Formats: sequence, structure tokens, C-alpha cells
Amino acid sequence: MTAPTGRGATDPNATGLPEGYGQGSGASARIADFIVRTRWLWVIAALAMVVVSAARIDQVVPIDPDARIFFAPENPDRQRLDQFEAMFSKDDNLVILVEPDDGDVFTPETLAYIGEFTEEAWLLPFVRRVNSLTNFQHTYAKGDEMIVRDLIVDPTSVTEADVEAARAIALDRIELRNSMIDPGSTITQVQILFTLPGKNPEAEAPLIYEEARALMAKYEAAHPEIDLRITGSVAMNNQFAVSGQGDATTLTPAMFVVILIIVGLALMSFFGVLSVLIIIIFSAIAGVGSLGWMGVQLNSVTVLGPLYVMTLAVASAVHILVSARQVMVVSDDRKEWARRALTEHIGAIVVACVTTAVGFFSLNFSISPPFRELGNMTGFGVLAAMFYTLTLLPALIVILPFRRQPQTARTSVMMGRLADSVIRKRTPLLWGGMVVVLACVTGISQLKLEDNFVEYFDESYEFRRDTDYAEERLTGLYLLEFPIDSGQDQGINDPKYLQTVSNFTDWLRDQPEIVNVRSLTDTVKRLNMNMHGDDPSYMRIPENADEASQYLFLYELSIGYGMDLTDQIDVGRQVMRISFNMRDVTTAEMRVITERAKGWLADNAPEYTAAPTGMVHVFNLISYRDTRAMLTGTAIALVLISAIIMLALRDVRIGLISLIPNLLPAAVGFGLWGYLVGNVTLAIAVVLAATLGIVVDDTVHFLSKYAKARREGQTAEDAVRYAFKTVGMALTVTTMGLVAGFGVLAQSGFAVNGDLAKLTALTITIALVADFLLLPALLIALDKRKDVMPLSSPAPVVVAAGMIVAGGILFAAFGASAQTPAEKGLAISIEADKRDLGYGDFEVEGRMLLRNKQGQESGREFRSMTLERPEDGVGDMSILVFEKPRDVRGTALLTHANVEPADDDQWLYLPAVKRVKRISSSNRTGKFVSSEFSFEDLGGQEVNDYTYEWLRDEACPTMPGAQCFVVSRAPKNAKSGYSKTISWIDQDEYRLTQAEFYNRRGDLEKILKLTDYQQYLGQYWRPGLMSMENQQTGKSTDLIWSNYKFRSGLSDGDFDSQRLSKASR
Amino acid sequence: MTQHRSCDRLAFVVTVFALALAAMLVASGVRAQSMLNPEYTEFYGKAGGEVNLFFEEPRFAGQDNHSLSAFIEPTFYAEWADGDISATFTPFARIDTADSERTHFDIREAKLDFVADEWEVTVGLDTVFWGKTEAAHLVDIINQTDTLEDLDDEDNLGQPMIRVGRQFDFGTVQAFYLPYFRKRAFPGTGGRLRAGQPIVESAERIDVKGERFVPSFALRYDCVFGGADIGLSGFYGVSRDPGFDPIIVQSSLPGAQPQIIGLAPVYDGITQIGFDGQFTDDATLYKAEAIFRTGQTNLNGNERDYVAASGGIEHTLYQVFDNADLGLIAEYAWDSRGRDATSTFNNDVILGARLALNDEADTSFLLTSAIDHRDEVATVRLEAQTRVGDGLIAEIEGTLFVNGKDDLLASDLQDDSFVRFKLTYFW
Repeated sequence: MTAPTGRGATDPNATGLPEGYGQGSGASARIADFIVRTRWLWVIAALAMVVVSAARIDQVVPIDPDARIFFAPENPDRQRLDQFEAMFSKDDNLVILVEPDDGDVFTPETLAYIGEFTEEAWLLPFVRRVNSLTNFQHTYAKGDEMIVRDLIVDPTSVTEADVEAARAIALDRIELRNSMIDPGSTITQVQILFTLPGKNPEAEAPLIYEEARALMAKYEAAHPEIDLRITGSVAMNNQFAVSGQGDATTLTPAMFVVILIIVGLALMSFFGVLSVLIIIIFSAIAGVGSLGWMGVQLNSVTVLGPLYVMTLAVASAVHILVSARQVMVVSDDRKEWARRALTEHIGAIVVACVTTAVGFFSLNFSISPPFRELGNMTGFGVLAAMFYTLTLLPALIVILPFRRQPQTARTSVMMGRLADSVIRKRTPLLWGGMVVVLACVTGISQLKLEDNFVEYFDESYEFRRDTDYAEERLTGLYLLEFPIDSGQDQGINDPKYLQTVSNFTDWLRDQPEIVNVRSLTDTVKRLNMNMHGDDPSYMRIPENADEASQYLFLYELSIGYGMDLTDQIDVGRQVMRISFNMRDVTTAEMRVITERAKGWLADNAPEYTAAPTGMVHVFNLISYRDTRAMLTGTAIALVLISAIIMLALRDVRIGLISLIPNLLPAAVGFGLWGYLVGNVTLAIAVVLAATLGIVVDDTVHFLSKYAKARREGQTAEDAVRYAFKTVGMALTVTTMGLVAGFGVLAQSGFAVNGDLAKLTALTITIALVADFLLLPALLIALDKRKDVMPLSSPAPVVVAAGMIVAGGILFAAFGASAQTPAEKGLAISIEADKRDLGYGDFEVEGRMLLRNKQGQESGREFRSMTLERPEDGVGDMSILVFEKPRDVRGTALLTHANVEPADDDQWLYLPAVKRVKRISSSNRTGKFVSSEFSFEDLGGQEVNDYTYEWLRDEACPTMPGAQCFVVSRAPKNAKSGYSKTISWIDQDEYRLTQAEFYNRRGDLEKILKLTDYQQYLGQYWRPGLMSMENQQTGKSTDLIWSNYKFRSGLSDGDFDSQRLSKASR
Repeated sequence: MTQHRSCDRLAFVVTVFALALAAMLVASGVRAQSMLNPEYTEFYGKAGGEVNLFFEEPRFAGQDNHSLSAFIEPTFYAEWADGDISATFTPFARIDTADSERTHFDIREAKLDFVADEWEVTVGLDTVFWGKTEAAHLVDIINQTDTLEDLDDEDNLGQPMIRVGRQFDFGTVQAFYLPYFRKRAFPGTGGRLRAGQPIVESAERIDVKGERFVPSFALRYDCVFGGADIGLSGFYGVSRDPGFDPIIVQSSLPGAQPQIIGLAPVYDGITQIGFDGQFTDDATLYKAEAIFRTGQTNLNGNERDYVAASGGIEHTLYQVFDNADLGLIAEYAWDSRGRDATSTFNNDVILGARLALNDEADTSFLLTSAIDHRDEVATVRLEAQTRVGDGLIAEIEGTLFVNGKDDLLASDLQDDSFVRFKLTYFW
């Protein structure tokens, strides 16, 4: 295609297009030229990438509704919560508030209603138990007998007398007050407890909720005089699921509309808008797709991830399109538009996208998994946007029938004027700016970390309203748990323990914020009284342990169906749980109460261990923990991003100056937020890192033009003018686009998303202002060099950025927390190794059962001796002596393990010829005595022989109830038969419980399961059974270990090659 | 006179053994009472039968085309003091249909072992192997070779000894006192694989003091430096390798030539120093052995100092197919005496391959060939073995003697190529 040139071209200077715009002859131009020439290739490549990135996109649905998504498995609070729930029961509940219009719960009708409702609530799915006023377990004495009965024995026929009796009992019982009934007896609750199977978590809560709703509707229709409201954790989880979907469905169209308007206004071109849409949708697919590749489900935070990606992707695309439009004025060659636009922006876009991605990838430092996922998703999305913008978009400019718009945009002129006035008034701007900044930044002190998961939902949600109502009228919602460990089996029956817990209960009840305390000591005291003919003087802890234990036993026998004490004491009767509700408290106040309670326990019950837990507690601390973790992440992001800028601009001074406009917006943003709002959720911790990457884009675009002009010999003032003219408009447009986009996201009723978006929008706005008003003044003031700066080519920038991106992807792909996955994997392995340190030596007998696919068995037996060598740089020493088959009896294999890359030293003793022979240990892959164990599986395995990568945490596959670290390790030695091994190491004792061996091709070859662990010397764990199954051949080998003998007095001398004959026996 | 002196010697040796034993028992604080009640005992061993089939007609009168043979080698083992003291008793017996000499009895081991920290003492009959290379065992000298069992130099007669070893930081040093000399056993006239001239053991001669209770002494140092395993050894005493004096009979008939009716083994007093080393580098082992010996009579009947050396490479290819390992062996053995050497390995290239299938039955094949390119003699040997059931090993061994006509030692065996089927049961 030959396009006539020159026609319609006007004087470039008159168009505001600087001379030489987009006509560089460096690497940028060559890359641009190449891309434009091979445009069809890039269209195909882009489509292929869409297909690849979307390949596993189905993995991300359905949305994970659990509120616990915010707690990483390695979060110590979460771990304690998990332990607590394993000990007692995981409470998933629904609370139905029952409020009769006549203001009195104690009427025959209302009690009948409650009784009936209670019965029907039992029919809900997954119900474990229903608690209500009517089935409250009332105990009293009848002669020598203790009677346990429902408070309302038969709700269908309640007399006035029954009602009054019930009222008296209920209001008297401290455990019911402010929980089951308010002191004015105007409102009560039916509490439904569920045991969720957890098989289909995204469906279970909504299913229960829906049926509960239906049940309520039925009762509300039949009894309009009684109001029902619903709250509880099931309602909350349902809300998490629903609000995520709600956000996605309401905000996405809004986002599209906003983007269309902004891009449409900026470009005034249908095909421009279409191209942008294509780019941002492809990018969003890449972002979501990356989650799919990582096998992560969406959740209520990440569900907005695609919108983040789209918002960010618009900016790059707009830069190219605005630029192309400027070129249209001077050329009618479509290829020229694309080429020059690309040449002009390729460097800046790479830097901008990479820094943004780095910023988002640094969210991996967050302790809260949704933010890590959001960071990865957005990071990958932005990188994809970079790719599409630099390849597909120029192709589209050439291919699509864009209409040429020869008249110049008036904006350049405007920008020129802005530049002039900024330069003129730079001194007042600088000082004034500093004052404003300082004033704003002080607002940071007003920030309060509030992670109240109820308040994550704003009042537009019925869940929030009903929950608030419950708090206001009946009880506190914030439930803290103190499991108090007596330190011994059956220890809860100890009168001293009971008295201490009772004292603690009383102390808690004295605290003004605490409205209700649930403690089994109340029941114990009451039972003691009941057993003594209801004598009130016996309303105290029994005097001996036997009594306490008998009373509880009797009580348990007598209480109703579905009720027992397992939700208050553990199976071993060692730990009792104290739960208390607080009302009208902030997160900070709850932290204070928790500390006070801990202080009381430390003073008064030092012999018992008790640590606070509960969902509320985890949330109470999460911002603190996250802020601390993100400090590291943000610092790293800052260093990386600054390094990228310096590299990109090839100028350390400008890079340092850029720190100011990069950091300042977030600081000012936080300060303003402190003044305006005050409360922040854990979202705040990630804002700095996330916005850093975005705000530097403006700086980079501005500074790269500035630096270019400076290199061409212009003064700082002229360079500022040049920068304003070339990118001022594009920056304004993109910032408006970003602000508008995040403004849409800010509409999310889910505070975590909303806060993040609002703060981001605020920060970006401030960034633009800072870049336009403060940065020029700073540059002119600080960049006084006269000399011409060296010319830079974008090639090294692209390379460096590429390397950083590659690093970032690696880093992100494995979902880092405070440590990189490699560090964490290594740390786990070091810990596992450390825990095994000091065992000294041990002997053990082994039996190997080889089984083929048909199940035929054959066996080997041997003895093994191992001596620890604690020094670094060497591994342990071991001798393996065969017993069976009998023909190899006495054959002994001595191994002195070495650290990679050195092979181990091995000697073989052959008893038939009495010969000790040094053998090669390089045969790592060979099968040991034709078993499924290879030599390297059994050989010395030192920490430094491998590189590690922590993958995730999950339940141990072979150890029920335990959590495992999942660590991938890759052998350093190329002779290894494996490309990697994935190990499941239990978090309590760091025992290897399972390992998957991947062969060199990367296929899963073998699975090893280690079970029947026993502890020796009170410290060292050894498996009783190691079972290796070859996944490809179906053969398996069991290695059964028995008769472990530790510290049997072996010494170095026993592991000398010359003494091997002695070991052979 | 000789008889009397032997008795003295015997008494001396027995006394030394008894004293050593007593000293050690006292030293280890073990009372005789507890010696009768070992902490651990085990009875194990092996027994087997074999059929030897020879391809060619016998070369010498009295030899047969086939033979049947059976052996038993049980071991009684007991230990005390947590294994620091142990006793081992391993008698050995073989019967053979073709060769009355091969029907023999030996005590392979009858010893007490003591281990205390870095010290290690053995008293009694034991077998000790030194050396590194696969074919020629140059430095290995403590035990007399049991040539009746096999030609591979790896079966030994039990050697009475007191061995004291100590581990040092720099390696292990062992000192041997070997009070009794064991002569080599040779096949009888009915056996194949023998020299053409019958060996007349009754005419044997021990050059040192002329009797068997002649002590030899040996010192051995072993160490490991990284990938290198080094052994240095010295020996002073009676050579285990006999030279042969022809027994010449001058017929009284007039005009008759003197006739060699047999060979008398001659055992010289020798001094030998030896070096053996192996360097292990990945899957490749580099091995070398060398000795210097004085006092040994060569085949020419002259006493000449000599040097012998062997060295080579063993390289293993792991998992050549499936899980099988293929070991390739290439060695060269050289002897300064050349054709006068008492050993067959005087200028031989040894090539071998060992294939271990590493299957459940531990099936393995070993092919070795020793080629003396100067003498144009070769011996090719193939062994294959596998496990049948639990503890039963089936083995086939074939040995081919190629072109031995011109070699003094080999010519006697040139028609003795054979195949051997062997079943051994281990319990």
C-alpha cells in the first residue's frame, strides 16, 4: 500500500507536535517498525495469547464465599483459630431475632411461636442443633433428684403460670441475659448451629440461607405481629458470596460506560474506542486467566480484579491512540501513525506497565491471601495490557479503518499555557505545595485501623442492618474466645481450676463492654446447687473433682437431643472455653479488652495457658499484621520501581527527584483520608504498594519527555514545557480515566474493595496534581546541570524491565507472603532439619516389601545405623546391612553423605569375598534393590542439596486433621532423577508426610506416603511406614521400619570403611 | 627333629593365642560366665551343588569330562557386649566326584573379634582381602588362595592370625601376626584345570625354616582422602605363591633320560611392599595396584626381585535399559618378570562387562576376558546368576580358554573350557 504523503500535512510546529516526534532512529524506532511491518503476526500472537491465558479461566469460579479468605493459613491467629475449632466445634450459625410487636416475649402465643419455629428450624440443611428460649436446659432439684428439662416443656399448650415461671427463670439466669433475652424481655433469638460439610462451600451457605429465609417468610406471613431478622456467620458468608457477585454484576457495566465515555471524549473515534475495548478485555482475560493458571478461586476482593486491570490498561492504550492522532495531523500513512506513536511511547509504556506490575506484585507480601491474589491478577493483567498495547494496538491502528482527523487537538496549546504559568509561579508553588503536603500528611495520625467484618458491608446490605439491630437490641456481636488449658487430662474437674475460671468469668462480667459471658462454670455451680436440694448457698464450685465430674456426667446424660458439652469442653476434658460478647466496641477497644483479659489471666491464673482466639480476634489483629508485612513489600516495590525509573531515564538524579512525586501522593492521600474518614480496613496496608506503581506512570511519562528534551540540550524550563506539550494531555486523560475507573470501584458496598478503590482514586488524583504543579518546580530547582545528558536508547530499559518482570512473575506466581516462596520453602526445610538435630545416632530395622501390579510380593530386610554429623558441609553417616534375601546377608552399604554438588561417599562390603569396595554414588536414579525407592530417595538428603519453593498450605493428605506446608524442591545436582519433588510437611512437627516425585520430563512418577510416625527421645519423629507407589507402573514398595533405638552409642569409628566387616556381622 | 620343633612351635602359638584371648577377655571385663551366654547368636550359611561339563576331551590321563560336586559352608556367630566381642566359626567342606583333592575341608573362619573404641583385635582364623583391581589381586597376600574352588583368586583358606588394628585421624593401621603358613591346595590327577605335571605336595618345600609354623608379619595402612582410597602394605614371611621345582627321576635303565614326574611346590621367604589405590570420580573408578617383592623364585627357578602392577578403569552406565546397570571394566596387568612370572597376569589386558539387571531376583551377568597379546592367549569367562525363590541362587558359568598352546601356564588348560551349573542355597 502506497499512501500519498505530504498531502494535508501542516507545519508541525503549528500543530503543537514537536519536531522529530516519533521519528527516532534508535532501538525504539526499529522495534516499532518491526511490529508495524509484522502486524498480522502480532494479531495472531495476541489471539493465541488470549486463548492460552483463558485456558484455565474456568478454575476461578465459583466465588469463594468464606470470610476466612482474609486469613492466610500461615497467619498465626488463623492457626490458633483452626486449632480451637478442631478442639471444640466450628461454629456456623444463624441467629433469628424474634421480636413481638407487643413488646413482651413472655406471652403464651409468642412462646408457642418460638417453640414451633425451633422445631421447624431443625429441618434446615446441615443443622446440628437449635437453641432457643423454649428448649433452654433448665435444671433444678426435686428432692434428691436433679431434673433437667426444657424451659417450656410443651410450647403448644402454655399456661399463663408457665409463662411467668419461665420469665422468672430466664431473667434470673445470667447466661441468658443479653444473649437469649434482653433484660426488658422484648426480644429473643433462635440460634441455629450448623455443621457444614464443606464439600461445596460456595453453595452451602446460600442454600441454608435461602431455606431459612423461606421458613421466616412462612412465619412472617402467618404471624405478622412478630418481627423476624436474620444474622449469624452463615448469613455473613452468604453475604460475602452475594456481595462479590453483586459487585461484579453492578460495577462492571458501570465501568464499561465510564471507560467508553472517557475514551470516546479523548479520542473522538469509534475505532479508537473499539480498539481500547479489545485491549482492555483481552488484558482482563489475561488477569483472570492467571488466577486460573494458579488454580485460585475468585473471592469477594478479587472479583473486582478485572476492573482494576481494565482501568489500568486503558491508560497505556490511550497514550498510543492519542499519539497516533497527533501524527495523523502530519501524515496520512496509517503505518506511519502506528509507527511513530509506538516509537514515541514504547519505552515509557514498558516502564509504566512494569512499574505498575511490580507495585501490584508486591501485594504478595500481604498476609491476606485475597490481596496477594488481587496483586498477581492485576500484575499479570497489566503486563498483558503492555503486550497487547505494544503489539495488537498498533496493528489495529493500521488494519482498522480509522478516520483521519487532520485538525490538531486544541489541548496541546492549553498544556503549553499551563506549563508557562507553572514555570512562572514555581517558587510559590513549591513552598505552598510543601505546606499543603505537610498539613495533609499530619492527617495520617487520624487513621484508625478498624477491621470489623460486619462493617465491611455498608448499610445498603440487609445483613448489615439486621446485624446492627441485633447488636443494638439484644446482644453484642463481637465474640471473643478464651480456651483455658488446665494442662492435664480431666483437668477441668479440678476445683481450683473451676474456681479460677469462675473468677475469670466474674471478672469478665464486670467489664462494661462485655454484655454476655458463656462459661460452663455457671452450669457447674448450678448443678452443685441442684444436687444440694437447690440450696442457694451451694451456688458455688463443688469442693472436689469427683463431684464436678459426676455432675457434668449426669447433666450430659439428661440434656436434650443434639446437645452435649463438646462445644464447651474438649474431648480430653482438659480445656474449657470461655466465650464473651461485646457491644458497641471498636477494633481498637477489643484489642484493649483482650489485652486486659490476658493480663488478668497472667496475674491470677499463671498455671493455666489461655490465648484469645475467635474470628473477631483474627480480624482485630489482621491490619496490624498486614501493615507490618506490607511495609517490607512496599519498601521492596519502592526500591525496584525507583531502580526501574533510574534505568529507564538513565539518570540517577532525575530518578531520585522522582521519588518525591511518587511517594507524596500516597502520603497526602492517607492524610486526607485520616481527616475525612478516619477508619480504614486492612485494605489500607496494600494501598501504598498498589498505587505506587500507578502514580509512577505519570511521573515516568513526564520525566522521560523531560529527560529527552534535556538531552537535546534544552534548559530545564524548556524541557518542562516540552514535557507538558507532549504528554500533558495524555496524562490528564489517563488520570481522569483511572480516577473515574476507581471511582466506579469505590461504589462497592464491600468496604475492603471500596476503601481500596477510594484511596487509590484519591492518590492518583493527587499524583497528577503533584506531577503538574510540584514536579516542574522541583526539576527546575534541583536539576541545574548545564551539560547535555547522554542519549539513551530504550533497549537496555526494555531488557532490564523484562528481567525485572520475569523476576516479578516468578516471585508472584508462587504467591509470596512476607518471605518469598523460595525463602519460605527453605525456612521450612531448615526448620524440619533443625528439629531433627541432635538425635545423635540411631539403629533401626527395615523391611522392604516389593509389590508389582498383580500384587505379588517379595521382600528385603536390613538393619540400618545412622550417625549424625552436626557440622555444616557434611551429611550424616549411615550403614545399611542386609539380612534378607539370605544370599545377600551381611552385604553392607556405608554412606558418608555429602552436601551437593559433591556425591556421597559410599563403600560396599561383600561378605563372600570379605572385600570393601568404594563404589560410585552417582547412580542416584537407579532403583534400590529393584524397589520403587531410588538410591537418592534413600541417600543422605541435606538441606543444601535442593532449592525450595513453598507452594501453599493445606490439610495433610496422610495425616488427618493436620495442616501441611506444601513445598516443592528441586535438586541442585543435575544427575538427580527428578525435576522436582513436592513435599507435604506437617506444620506442627515438620514431619514429611507425603512426597510426589516428578521425573525429569516433569511427569508425576512416584508418590511416597510416610505414616505411623512415632516420637523418640521426646523429640525425634520417625515414620513406621514409608509407602512408595509408582504411578506409571503401578508397582509399589513398602518400607516398614521397626525397633528404632536412639543413642545406642555409635561413634565415628563404627562408620569407617575398614570396620564395615564388623557391622556386617 | 623337625617334628619336635613343630611341636614347640605349636605350643608357642597356642600359648600366644591363649594369652591374647585371656588378656582381651580381662580387658573387656567379660567374665567367662557371660561368654557362655551370648547376647546374640545366629546360625547361617550356604550349601550348594554344581555340575561341571567340559567341552573337550581331557588333555591329561585320569581327567574326566564332567564332574559333580557339593559343598557346605555354615557359620556360627555369637556376640557379646553389644557386639564389641564376637565369635565366628565357619567350616567349609566340599566333595567332588572327579577329583579327590577337591574333596576337601577347611576352616574359613574361627575367630574372636574385639572392638573397643578405635582399637580392633582379631584372634583366630580369618580371611582378609586387600586390593582394588578386579582381575589381578597383587597386593592381596594374607590368605592362601583356594585354587580348588575357582580360578578367580577370590576363594581363600582361613589364615590363623592375630590382628590388631587402630583407627587414627589419618587412617587405619593394622598389624598382623600370622604364625602358621598354609600351603596352596592343588587339583589332583583326576581334576581338570590343573597343570600337566602332577603337583606333588608331599615334596613341597618351605624355604623359610622348612616348616609351616613359621610366622609371617604384615602391616597395612588404609586411608581415605576425598575420592581416593589408598592402601599401603608390607609383608615379611612366606610367599603364598609357590614356585615349582621339577621332580626329576633318573631311571636306572641305561640310556634313559631324566624324567620329570611332577612338580614340587616351593615356598620362598619374601618381603613385599604394596600399594593399592582407587579414585572414585562419579561413575568412573580408577584403580591401581603395585607390588615390589624380593625373594620370590620365578618360573625359571631364579630368585629375582620384581615389580608387578595393574591398573584400570571401571565405568558404570546406569540404567542402560530400564533399571539395569552396565559396568565396563578395562584393566591392564603387568609383571616385570614377563614370561617367567609365576602369575598368569604378566602382560594382560582385561576387558569385562558387568550387567546387573537390578530386578527382584538380582539377576546379573559378568563377562570378563583376559588377553595376553604378546602370548596371544585369552581367557573368556561369562557368569550369570539369578535368584530362584528365597535364598536359592542359580548360576551358570562358562570359561573358554583360547589359543593357550604356546603359553607355558595356559597350555595345560587349553582343553579345559567348561560350563558350570551351580545351585546355592543360603539360609
